[in-house]
Parts: sequence; C-alpha cells; structure tokens
Amino acid sequence: MDLTPDDVQRQILDSVGRILERGADPQHTRALLEVGKYDEALHAELAAGGFFELPQAAGPLEAALVCETVSKAAGLVAATATGLVYPMLTGEAAPGPVALASDKGQPFRLGQFAKVILILRDGDALRLTPQPGDVEPVDNDRTGWPLARLKPAALSRAEKVGDGAQLLNWWRTGLAIDAAGAMRGALDVTVRYVCERIQFGRPIGTFQAIQHRLAQMTVQAEGVYWLALEAAYRNAEPAAAARAATWATTTSPLVLRETQQMHGAMGFTREYPLHLWTMRLPALQRELGGLSAHARAAAKLRVAA
Amino acid sequence: MDFDWTEEDVEYRTSVRAFLAENLPAGWHGYDKTNLPKYKADARAFCEALSARGWLTQNWPREYGGQDASPWRHAILSEELWPLGEPRGSQYMNVNWIGPAIMVAGTPEQKAYHLGRISAGDVFWCQGFSEPDAGSDLPSLRTRAVRDGDDYIVNGSKIWTSHVGTADFCFLLVRTDPEASKRAGISILLMPMDLPGIDVRHIDGFVGEQSFHHLVFTDVRVPAVYRLGEENRGWDIVRRALSFERVGAAHYDTATLILNEVVEEARRTGLLDDGEIQSKIGEAEAAIAASRLLTYRVVDLRAHGSPPTTDSNIARVAQTQALRLVGELAHVVFGEAGLESHSPGDIRRALAYSVAAGTTEMQLDQIASGHLNLPKFKG
Repeated sequence: MDLTPDDVQRQILDSVGRILERGADPQHTRALLEVGKYDEALHAELAAGGFFELPQAAGPLEAALVCETVSKAAGLVAATATGLVYPMLTGEAAPGPVALASDKGQPFRLGQFAKVILILRDGDALRLTPQPGDVEPVDNDRTGWPLARLKPAALSRAEKVGDGAQLLNWWRTGLAIDAAGAMRGALDVTVRYVCERIQFGRPIGTFQAIQHRLAQMTVQAEGVYWLALEAAYRNAEPAAAARAATWATTTSPLVLRETQQMHGAMGFTREYPLHLWTMRLPALQRELGGLSAHARAAAKLRVAA
Repeated sequence: MDFDWTEEDVEYRTSVRAFLAENLPAGWHGYDKTNLPKYKADARAFCEALSARGWLTQNWPREYGGQDASPWRHAILSEELWPLGEPRGSQYMNVNWIGPAIMVAGTPEQKAYHLGRISAGDVFWCQGFSEPDAGSDLPSLRTRAVRDGDDYIVNGSKIWTSHVGTADFCFLLVRTDPEASKRAGISILLMPMDLPGIDVRHIDGFVGEQSFHHLVFTDVRVPAVYRLGEENRGWDIVRRALSFERVGAAHYDTATLILNEVVEEARRTGLLDDGEIQSKIGEAEAAIAASRLLTYRVVDLRAHGSPPTTDSNIARVAQTQALRLVGELAHVVFGEAGLESHSPGDIRRALAYSVAAGTTEMQLDQIASGHLNLPKFKG
C-alpha cells in the first residue's frame, strides 16, 4: 500500500499541469463554450505530449491522475473518454476525441466533436466512426458540456469492439474521475471566493456556517477522488467502479448546490467561472442511470461477493 | 502509488488471524465491554501475548520496545482487533498516542518506565481531558495544579472519562498558569490513579456499560517528576497526540461488519429485493470504502514520515459518516429487532462516534482552518 505519487507520477502531473496552466484558462474555456466549440488546441497538445497514451505507456492509474487534473482545470476536452476509457477498452490509442453514448438516444457529452464514439448497447461495446449527419448538437444551456445526440440510423454502422460490461465499468470509473475533478475545482474556486467576498465587515469564509459546509464537502470530494483512483488502479474492477460512481453521484448534488449557494447571484453569471465546474455535475449525475443504478450495482456486487 | 497490500502485509494479516484464534479470551464477544474492570485480566493477558509476539508496539522505534515496523502493519492489527470489540481494552490508546507522546516529551526515566510497561502490555491508561466546562473548547480547561515543593497539588475535575475502571494511570491535562493565555498555561501529568484524593464517580449512560466517569480531584499530591514535558507547554504535545488518536481505530471495519449483518437480515426478510434498500446498501458500501481510503491516506503520510496533517480530521469525519449511514440503514432493516441492545440495528453506537475523539464540529473546524486555510474572524 502506498498512496503517495512516485517520481514518475509526479513528473507526469507536473507536466500536464504546465500544459493546463497555459492552455486551460477559464476565460478561454468559457469563450469556447459560448460558441459551442471544442478546445482543439488543448486536445492536440495533450495528444502530442503522449497523455492520451498513458494507459499503455504507464498504466490506467497514471491516466486517471491526468484526467482528474484536466477535469479540475475545467479543460474543454474529452480527456477521460479519449485517454482512459477508449485505450483501456480497445488496447489501442484513440484516433482523436472520443465520446461515450448509450443506445437510447439520450444526449451525451462532446459527441459532436468525436472522431469515434463508443456505444453501450445491451451486452456489447460498439464503436462508431461518425459520418456527417450521424450526430447532431443538442441545444442546451443546462450543463457545462456541449451535448449531442446520436441518430438511431447510425447505430447500424457501429461495430462491436468489446464487452459491454467492460465499457460500463470503465465509463463508471471515468465519470467518477471527471466528477472528482469538477468537484475539487468547484471547491477551489469557492474557497477563494469566500475569502475575498466581504459582507458584514468580514470575509464570508470566516463564518462557521460557511466553513463547516466547505469542510464537509472536502471530505466528500476527497473520498470520490480516492475511490476513483482506486477503481482505475484496479482496472475498473466492477465493484470498485460501482463504488466510485456511487460516491461521485451521491456527492455531486451537494457540491453543486452548496458551491452555487455560497456564491450568491455571482455564481449564476456567465462571466464568473464557477459554472464551468458546477454545471458539469448534472450531466455526470445522469449518465448510466444515475445514482440509484450505480448504488444498486454496488449493492448487488457486494451481496454476490 | 499502490492500492494493494504487499505480500508481507498479507502474510502478516493471516498470522494475526491465527494468533487471534488462539489468544482471544474465551467467550469474547466484543462490543462495548472493554470498559468493564472484570475484563481487565483478559485484556492484560491478551496484550502480554501480543507483546510476547512482538506485535503490541511493533510500529514503535526499537529503542522504545518496538520493531520499527511500518505504520501499515500497525493499521492491519487495528483493523483486525477493532471490529472484535478491541480486545486490547484501553491499551490501544497507549500504543497509538500515549506512548508516542511520551517518546516526544518524556524524560529518560519516564521513557524507561512507561514505554517499558506499555510495550510489555501490562498497564492501562485513561485520558483526563474533558471537563464540565471544557469539552470541545478543551484549552479552556480549569483543573488546577499548583506547585508545592517537589509536588503539584491538583484540584478540579474531569468528566466523560472512559476506561477509568481499569486505569492504572491517567494522562491528565492541568492548568499550571491561570494568568497565561488558554493554550499557554497547560501542563501534562502522568498521574497514577491510586493517589489519595481521586474520587471516581460513575455516570450512568446509554452507550456501553460504564463508559463515562466523573473524576474529582481534591488536593491530589502529584510528584512534579510525573510532569510530561515542560511546564505550561503541554498543549503542543496534546495537539500532536490528538491527531494520532483520531484514526487509531478502524471504525470502517466495524461499519463493514454491521453492513454484513444488514445484508444477511435483508436477505432473510426479503428486503434485499427492494430497490431502495439496495441503493442504501450501495451507498453505505461506497461510504465505507471512501473512509477506508481516506484513513489509509493518513497511515500513508505517516509511513512517508510526514508530520500529522488535517487528513486525519478528514478521515475521522468520513468514518463517522460511514458509521452513521450504515447505522441508520441497520435501524431500518432490523426494524423492531434493532431495539434490542447488541443488535447491529442499535443506533446508539453511531450517535456516539460523532462526539468521541473530538466532535464532528471540531473536526470540521480544523479542516476549514488547516486544510482549506479559511480565515479566522478577528472581531
């Protein structure tokens, strides 16, 4: 047992941190989001740096560490699907941005930018290389992700690439990693805000009513972080993946509600960046059937064990 | 990073289980019994056997009767013992923080005597911290120790003290300078419990038999050589000791055992097919797993030589939450049967954990200041 990053892991985190510092500034991300674009430059830089090939080069844990960091910086790229789920499922590096979709026609994250889409259908993992018209953007201002929908006709061209359960487990692991990053990012912004925002002659972060809630959220979000890393380390072992997704979706509503609340009206503006993190959480919360699906899976796996 | 146990650790856990099969007191059934004086002989024999095996204080340095074993091995021992109702009795505190506090601040004589006895497994301690007017605000404690020649004369009282019935010594916090600021006038006395003037009153409570005591001190004469560390500098020692206390016990494994019984009961009654109960089981399972990893993070920091951090507060709150979730679920699943004491559906246990070892509110305060660096109000 050793929960401290080793030298190689630290170097990987440092170098992705430097890329994100240059490439994932919140103003830039917000501007892209407003015009419905993908951060091609950031994606290209991460790809060129080999960060999407970490599963083969180092391992899924290293990939997960990077994906969490990208999410924490609110990078507008499909890092987890591209750099963790796809390579772990197929054993190959992704040819470009990857999106994850169910076959039920629901909106899914970043689908309009995907070079390849992994689809969970019955017991199978399918791969689709979308052609023009297969995917249409969904007009939404509810989440921090551009969403898209897959046209049912496109499904017939999708080919089987693996086991559906495998995709499900990696997807759960990935969404927990994305949620951990989004929550930890939202908490960082909120901690800064409550230290600066003066009301009643003092920073609102001095009020115990604020402090305890932030501390409680920290406990929750750190728990998600470690469960997500463990799930990646264990190769998305079903129970570990279900636990991570369960705790991520249990915790997300709390962090969403509370970090928004602590910002007051400022948190609802497009100008202030909080929404870059918080508005991603509702989308993550809904994927794959949401909390009750993950929690019931965790329970069934426990009972069966 | 590595989330798996080493081969040596796995072997160690196996050998601990074999040891337990041989050495656990006959008829031992755990829960909430370790306060009772009648179990003291059992706990002593068990700890002496652990000591003979070299495991009681294995994580201590060799010079103090330890084996320089990794904190992970000690954590494994705690994981195996705590869910059994802690057959070490109060001696788990000796190993986790009383001994380490003495290592940090003790005189050569204190180290030789106390660390020797603790590592031999033949001594029991209680913790003289809380007072009627000093609970969460522990530094406002008022039990007074006045220097008189080679002694201190102690007057005052301690309350909610556990393990008094078995205690040979008390790790006692006293005020030696009433003029100084709250934290600057506190000293520690390693006080034998058989000194004249110590009145022990039992407080009837509903979380475990004989859990609480009120200690009243009337002109107790404590030799000054029993003081731990410098006069008026006790708070720093205690702060450090408390961070070891918080995660010394593997509550997540207690929660796991309760959840096992919940699952069995739900299976028996057909509730296991209920989607909502399944969801709650999954959530409790995730909460337990999260609190386990957050506790491992604390052990890991220690294994890497880090000084205590607020990670121990985070782990403590997570453990408390896991116990609460599983306790509330047990309450539902066991129904009326949960009203019987010693039922896993007994909600009282979960209620007590968020108060013991520093209330959840105090843990959150420390996370807010130490981890998040939120500002203090200077009004």
